[in-house]
Amino acid sequence: MAVRGVEIAVPARARARSGRWTALVRFARKKPLGAAGGFLMLLMLLTALFAEVLQTHDPIATDATATLAGVSAEHWLGTDHLGRDIYSRIVHGARVSLVVGVASTLLGSVLGGIIGLLSGYIGGTTDLVTQRVLDILQGLPLLVLALVMSAALGPAVHNVIVAISIPIIPRAARVIRSSVLSIREMQYIEAARSLGVRHLRIAFRHILPNTIGPFIVLCTAQLGSAILVEATLSFLGLGVPEPYPSWGRMLSVSAAEYAQKAPHLVMFPGIAISLAVFGSNLLGDALRDTLDPRLRGS
Amino acid sequence: MKTYVIQRLVIALLTLLGMSVVIFTLLRLAPGDIVDILFSTAGYVSQDEKTAIMKELGIDRPYWVQYLDWLRQILTGDLGKSYRYDQPAWQIIRPLVPVTLELAALSTLFAVLIGVPSGVISAVRQDTTLDYLLRVFSLAGLSMPAFWLGMVIILGLVTWFAWIPPLSYVSPFQDAKLHAVQFLLPSLAVGYRSSALIMRITRSSLLEVMREDYIRTAWAKGQTGRVVIWRHALKNAMLPVVTVIGIEFAFLIGGLVVTETVFNLPGVARFLVQAILWRDYPIVQNLVMFIAIVVILSNLLVDMLYGVLDPRVRYGG
Amino acid sequence: MSRVRVALLSITLLALAAVLLAPSTSQSQSPKSGGVLNMMLREDLSQGFAIHETSTISTVWPAMPCFNNLVLFDPLKKTESAETVIGELAEKWSWQDNFRNLVFFLRKGVKWHDGQPFTSKDVKFTFDMLREAPDSPAKLRINPRKDWYSNIEAVEAPDQYTAVFRLKRPQPSLLLMLASGYTPVYAAHVPPADYRSNCVGTGPFKVKEWRKGESVEFVKNSDYFIKGRPYLDGLKYYVILERSTRQAAIQAGKLDVSFPGETTKTAAEQLKKAVPQLVITPFSQNVADNIIMNMKKPPFDNLKVRLAVSHAIDRRALVQAVHQGGAVIGAGLAPKPWGFWGLAEKDLVGLPGYGAKAAEEKALAKKLMAEVGFSAQKPLKVEIATRAIAVYVDMASFVVNELKQVGIEATLKQIDTAQWHATATRGDYQIGANLTGVGPDDPDANYYENYACGSPRNYSFYCNEQVMKMFDAQSQELDPKKRLALNAAIQKRLEADAARPILDWKVDYFTVWPHVKNLIPHQSIYNFGRMQEVWSDK
Repeated sequence: MAVRGVEIAVPARARARSGRWTALVRFARKKPLGAAGGFLMLLMLLTALFAEVLQTHDPIATDATATLAGVSAEHWLGTDHLGRDIYSRIVHGARVSLVVGVASTLLGSVLGGIIGLLSGYIGGTTDLVTQRVLDILQGLPLLVLALVMSAALGPAVHNVIVAISIPIIPRAARVIRSSVLSIREMQYIEAARSLGVRHLRIAFRHILPNTIGPFIVLCTAQLGSAILVEATLSFLGLGVPEPYPSWGRMLSVSAAEYAQKAPHLVMFPGIAISLAVFGSNLLGDALRDTLDPRLRGS
Repeated sequence: MKTYVIQRLVIALLTLLGMSVVIFTLLRLAPGDIVDILFSTAGYVSQDEKTAIMKELGIDRPYWVQYLDWLRQILTGDLGKSYRYDQPAWQIIRPLVPVTLELAALSTLFAVLIGVPSGVISAVRQDTTLDYLLRVFSLAGLSMPAFWLGMVIILGLVTWFAWIPPLSYVSPFQDAKLHAVQFLLPSLAVGYRSSALIMRITRSSLLEVMREDYIRTAWAKGQTGRVVIWRHALKNAMLPVVTVIGIEFAFLIGGLVVTETVFNLPGVARFLVQAILWRDYPIVQNLVMFIAIVVILSNLLVDMLYGVLDPRVRYGG
Repeated sequence: MSRVRVALLSITLLALAAVLLAPSTSQSQSPKSGGVLNMMLREDLSQGFAIHETSTISTVWPAMPCFNNLVLFDPLKKTESAETVIGELAEKWSWQDNFRNLVFFLRKGVKWHDGQPFTSKDVKFTFDMLREAPDSPAKLRINPRKDWYSNIEAVEAPDQYTAVFRLKRPQPSLLLMLASGYTPVYAAHVPPADYRSNCVGTGPFKVKEWRKGESVEFVKNSDYFIKGRPYLDGLKYYVILERSTRQAAIQAGKLDVSFPGETTKTAAEQLKKAVPQLVITPFSQNVADNIIMNMKKPPFDNLKVRLAVSHAIDRRALVQAVHQGGAVIGAGLAPKPWGFWGLAEKDLVGLPGYGAKAAEEKALAKKLMAEVGFSAQKPLKVEIATRAIAVYVDMASFVVNELKQVGIEATLKQIDTAQWHATATRGDYQIGANLTGVGPDDPDANYYENYACGSPRNYSFYCNEQVMKMFDAQSQELDPKKRLALNAAIQKRLEADAARPILDWKVDYFTVWPHVKNLIPHQSIYNFGRMQEVWSDK
């Protein structure tokens, strides 16, 4: 994506770097909403990475003298019913939401992607059976499935990640499979096969790279959903356990009880969740528009 | 056409069978069973009593025996007895079904009423400020946790209007106005969230269709913009939209769980969560199968609709 | 007019004026009949109306209106004790043979809700079933309070309206346990399992409809054996799962009465601010936050470690942080003046953890831990278990923070409700943050359930023969003053052994709308739900 039409004697690496940067700027200008989404995600990532630096208090330290305090210079977003600083808890909650969201999305998408790739490429009976099995997984409502899984596995971070990733697998498989189906029939694949290239090599060397676009789109779309499911599970008491601060859990019973006296308990974590999911959705939309050539222009 | 339908029905049945195994297994994987919960309400545990109750409820039998027994019951139309309430499951669920169905129907209606027009406007005025605003508005609904939206709505109503949701279900025959109020807010909340996807698909589908050659031909022929849109584009754009509406209806259950809890509506979804917490196997199993049947049926119907409307789909993959 | 007449007239007029203008006190308001009260439930009934098969307030509170006991704590008297026990199905009773036999003279003409007559047969049936007599015709599926009746040798029904309880040894507390809301009389002609779906009682209200997960509706029992009672026409209990909705409902007047144990201090302040005329009564729920420590395994088999834990937790700060001041500190039994038997605050000083200076207590805890070889640099790592419910988790989070300061690093492990009692009974934990509620404010009920060797609810596995003898001694002590002294000694001993360090006793801010009269909370949430004397001034 170098700048064409003008001959500039720039070393190759610098050209590539400026090319990437230009592409980014072009993307931001063309898709301002997507750029806003990307910015929100970046903000979340930085917050998660530098939580210890950004916090003003220990997120799990209770303070009997300052319960349900409002917004102040001491506590930027107030305190909860145990006197814990809400701002610091939200900052750390970003880490939890991001880690759980990304991990479960990646786990589900990669597993689902592999299943979809193989199923789509091999075709035939394997494909048919796999599809039905995925139908089964997908037929159960996402929340119910995550609920039962979470109860089955017990409250622990890694269990929550697994529980949320399971409903993602069939969706990922479906997207990758349809992508594979459309590529499989293409001419150069036929050519490769007639040349005797092994199937596995074809699958991973030629088809897989072309599914990256839809894969990225899928991941960003599922990330938002994963964050929401984690929040809902935590709200219901089945998600990430104490002492990890979780945005969803901050909204559960305790917050609801004090909502009228201290509405900031309810507003701030909810806004945090909404912004994170919103950002991922915006970014996902924009990426889909850009990377998926079939939808270009829509 | 007939073989197509039969083929799909057989597949649907096999899928349902598979689902029954999955839900049966998952439930048994969850630690603790009804007996543990009964003892937790009694505040202690006694091994002798535990053995006796397990025998009484039949949960001391091997899993495969219990599974086959459950299948047999479904086939004979017996939906089993609730472990918690000691009464036929159907008797307990029956008054809950109309509440959830009405909520789902109203939510879908609102979703369509909000989603389709905003999708059309957004497509027609693509990349304008109005488009961006509508997309942000729609996406915001999708980004907010359903339970949070409900909490904030109720908080606002209580704080500013001193209003709370009615404490128990009011049927439309008892008090139509109160009934409408009781269902309006939760349906709007759920419908708003569902509308996002519908809006998105309407928009992209319409945009895609508007680029088609035959639309351009119509324009070239001199037909005015609005007529073109309404007569040609919209009709053809609706197909994927109908699909999505069908899918959204099935996925509503997730949103309904929290909505029914927050707005205190005695529906199936809220009852399902309680049943899961109580490990009330008969209720959970049968309700989830019921939901699965609804989902598969709606998928089937949509597929058939597709097959009827678009002959290309009927014989393809 | 003659002077006498004028005098008489004046006196009459003055008397009339005095009567008309005298301020009427609320006590002399006479109860009105009629009205339906809307009551609050925070979850659906767990086992229907089968009070004998559960130990949860969610069953007792809505089911009590349907039943009668032999005797009951007087609903109108706030503090329960042996003096406030009144008769329900028993007209009169008398202890005989130095508190070894209890004879009840039953009321005549009482009918069950299905029309059958009540006789001593029902009493014998109920208590033979409860004590699991070998020849009992019926058996409860779950019998949580079997131990209450372990001292009963036999229950006899010499004639239709007399019942005799023969005890193995004297036990004055038996009467108190019979007076608890946990001890209704079942009908002999109704299978006990039926009470899980419906209620055949003799009580002031009959069940009209139970809509599962939604509400329970009662109507007045017009054949009730006390004429003129109940005052109310009906009761409706609504199941509301969301806490904020419950609070909003009572604030808006959609509910007339709060659920016992539901209203915290903060909620009460909010309610009072919004609706100043609400009547809010603080009372001790007879529910205590406590720490259970598995004494069967290290490290908590070591008394020093247990004492360190007890010293480390600043009770007063916990009351502030976790309950916003809506709790009181106390030892094994509800403290005075909230309860009858407990130690008052001045008597607590000197017990581990109750010292006024938290810093000193923590220093003591650190010293104890150092003696066992642990410090802030080399902390003792443990797992603290608790139920996965907000109120438990909050308390446990606070405790984690306290323990951190004395060299104990505890990670919180949340256990699903379904698993909690099973896990604790198995001893599958090291240290746990627990909540314990006891039916009546009575030493026998409390000690034998929670501290006796071999009791299934003795989650710490605390077993001390000497202390067991102290339990038995106070149980048989007939002199009330001596009994109080014996109990004071026991409570001090239990805290010194760190058997189950008590953190606080929870206070509920029972809220009713002003038109609700005669609903007086007692020092136990399980005993005042009969609703017989309650009337509505609307």
